[in-house]
Amino acid sequence: MSSKVVGQSVPKIDAATKVRGQRKFPQDFNMEGQLYAKVVWSEYPHARVSKIDLSQAEALPGVVAILTSKDVPVNEYGINIMDQPVLVGEGEKVRWLGDRIAIVIAESEKIAQEARQLVRVEYEPLPVVTDPREAMKPDAPLIHEERGDSNILKHIKIRKGDIEKGFAEADVIIESYYLTPHVEHAYMQPEAGVGYIDEQGRVTVIAAAQWSHDDLHQISHMLDLPLDQVREIVPAIGGAFGGREDMYIQHLLALCAYCVRRPVKMVFDREESVMRTGKRHPYYMKYKWGATRAGKLTAMEMEIISDAGAYASTSVPVLSNSASFAAGPYVVPNAKVDAYTVYTNNAVTMAMRGFGSTQPPVAYESQMNKLAEALGMDPVELRMKNLLEDGSIALTGNPMPPGVGVKETLRQTALAAGWKEEDGVWIKPGPGLPSAPYKRRGIGVACGYKNVGYSFGFDDKTRAIVELALDESGEIARALVKLGASDQGMGAHTALAQIAAEALGIDYEKVRVALVDTSVVPDAGSCSASRHVYMSGNAVIRACQEAARKREEAIQRGERRVSAEYEYHGRSVRPTTPYDDENGMCDPHIGYGYASQIALVEVDVGTGQTEVLKVWAAQDVGKAINPEMVKGQAGGGVHMGLGYALTEEFIQKEGLIKTRRFSEYHIPTVADMPREFIPLIVEVPDPTGPYGAKGVGEMTTLPTAPAIISAIHDAVGVWIDNLPATAEKVWRAMQVRS
Amino acid sequence: MLTLKMFLNGQEVSVDVEPGELLADVLRDKLGLIGTKISCGEGECGACTVLVDGKAVDSCLYPVLKAQGREVITIEGLGQDNRLDTIQQAFVDKTAPQCGYCIPGMVISAKALLDENPHPTRKEIEEGISGNLCRCTGYYQIIEAIELACERLAEEGGTG
Repeated sequence: MSSKVVGQSVPKIDAATKVRGQRKFPQDFNMEGQLYAKVVWSEYPHARVSKIDLSQAEALPGVVAILTSKDVPVNEYGINIMDQPVLVGEGEKVRWLGDRIAIVIAESEKIAQEARQLVRVEYEPLPVVTDPREAMKPDAPLIHEERGDSNILKHIKIRKGDIEKGFAEADVIIESYYLTPHVEHAYMQPEAGVGYIDEQGRVTVIAAAQWSHDDLHQISHMLDLPLDQVREIVPAIGGAFGGREDMYIQHLLALCAYCVRRPVKMVFDREESVMRTGKRHPYYMKYKWGATRAGKLTAMEMEIISDAGAYASTSVPVLSNSASFAAGPYVVPNAKVDAYTVYTNNAVTMAMRGFGSTQPPVAYESQMNKLAEALGMDPVELRMKNLLEDGSIALTGNPMPPGVGVKETLRQTALAAGWKEEDGVWIKPGPGLPSAPYKRRGIGVACGYKNVGYSFGFDDKTRAIVELALDESGEIARALVKLGASDQGMGAHTALAQIAAEALGIDYEKVRVALVDTSVVPDAGSCSASRHVYMSGNAVIRACQEAARKREEAIQRGERRVSAEYEYHGRSVRPTTPYDDENGMCDPHIGYGYASQIALVEVDVGTGQTEVLKVWAAQDVGKAINPEMVKGQAGGGVHMGLGYALTEEFIQKEGLIKTRRFSEYHIPTVADMPREFIPLIVEVPDPTGPYGAKGVGEMTTLPTAPAIISAIHDAVGVWIDNLPATAEKVWRAMQVRS
Repeated sequence: MLTLKMFLNGQEVSVDVEPGELLADVLRDKLGLIGTKISCGEGECGACTVLVDGKAVDSCLYPVLKAQGREVITIEGLGQDNRLDTIQQAFVDKTAPQCGYCIPGMVISAKALLDENPHPTRKEIEEGISGNLCRCTGYYQIIEAIELACERLAEEGGTG
């Protein structure tokens, strides 16, 4: 079947309302008679709350209620492990600056703001531990006494082959220690929303969320209410990147509405959004890799320590991903991985674009580039000798499923960037002349890969409803797709509408995707793991096929409405399995996506300042449902990767957060981005994907940082193993070298 | 409370304000113009950009009383009835909006640029939106959209 809608860059389903400023984000909602809420935040990274004095705040005219832990029916929540208190009461502990003591609800935002400053809280400070390597030690202060006698949340082991034999076979061994920092999601729309009791008496929240149906479970647990007594509505989401997978405001709005039975609005300012919400995990990665003179990897030994911060969030599944990707997209017969995630008094760490697949490339791709240098081999050629192919045995002992496109992404990127290939020998192009005599140019390459869908035996599923309205002749006049798939902005709803149009054989303009409202749409799982096109796309196709069958019957009966529903399970095509406790062998992931990038940089030798001049970025998406949207993901992925590599620093000292706003946290502006950007779409189909599609969103950011780091080395001869490679860091490394 | 008069999106508007109130808050909370977004609150991100007497300003820092007697244009003032203006249409055609939270500010900055300089170079476009942060796109399709708008405006013979 030739596709008519899939593969076309149709306009995004919500673009016109967004460019007019009409599309409503959570802060744009107001309700009759609404109150305003503000949070009283923890002032210590680790302390026992000894006294909460509300008297002055309560006396302020206009204050309606001040909620404390006593007002929370079940004072715990958490996406993975319920180890987070909603509000911290007297005698209980705060574990980071994002913990909450109280919520002030008042007639105006100004009064709420004033009243929260009048809440007096006394603390008994406790010892603070902020380095996970310290927190792992047996005598470290415990963050969660109630969870056993160690701060180690999880230890994952992988034992494959015999690394001693593997290192003995190696002609070259590279050992390095890599550090990656906390990263702030920095979505443009700060947390906001309204909580209210709807016309059916349900506790209802309007907020940005990545997985509303999971929020419902947590909110119903917190309020001790049946699931059908809570509801979440998701309007336009102003970016998320993983940061809205956990609840940072949804449960607070629900609690406010539950307690005061009136609409309550809450909006975080930028400081609250930066200081009081989760981050990407910092990683400490010790890597030792060996290879033969011919360029074959023989052994790898890796220790990965992740800083989970004060609460678990998704630190365990994030770590699980990291361990499975620790070797990069390469075949290695002998490997040993020890991966740990550890509680500290730092910011909570959580999902962020890549979900544990973003940190390892900083290590594994620098290892490959260092090996290439040590072997005197072209870095593309070294990779080509080791990259995964269909059926290759991965680090976890599983054969790679069909559709491994990483070699193709590397081949296309390298050729586009000017590499020459002859009989498997690759020759790197020169970087060109620098723009000034005090500048040096360099070129660097990196690859990356990541899972699509939820892994390690999790029953990843998505449920979709398709409703058709037929015209008099029985043709489809309109189709409505209903599913709880959040669209953070990347275009999930557009892609799913295209898939539905294709499956039904109708025009894209006839398809609508329902607003996510848990009282209307079924659970489609989280908007994460680059999974909606693949998982929800598969569900939508099947629901459309069922609707098409029902349409025939409806026509026979003279009916004009058709509804069909389908629940798609990832395990129906590829069952996954959890890690074996002893050797880590498993079949970890449903599907994969692949990417390669090459960066051309110029470094100022006087200042150490790096400018990225050009990036070539190839992503194997299986099938580009909407090529312009794929390019948009590539641009955004490079943006985040460039910030990760060079500019973004979230600074904490002894658990106190020093980075509070955009003037202190530097996400790349247009002036920081490479002037030239060459996105390349590679389509090696996944036979189980909708029209062959894989995932897109996360893979596009994986290779950027290591490609830039490698290019800096090519330019000025220094390896920066501790991100970000700020001007000062590069300059200092150059001084040490000379 | 003081009564402020301004020319907002082509109409004279009176609104009661307190001294010290900011233009963005008045637009959003008192006049219901939610297209102007607040993101950083410190003039770093440009999501709140509006035109005051044709100049792009960060309305989250702009004391509302300064707008007395001035012409203010917000995103709601672009386009007519249900038709997008040329810049807005180019943003749609180039798949420029992702989450869309920065987009009203981006469109207004683009308008300020093109009203003053109908044939900007690539570098001038970058400078024109360098005060607008976007976390989703990498800016490429936004730049392409502004380039497309320039071409179309030149064909239309006006600045939309």
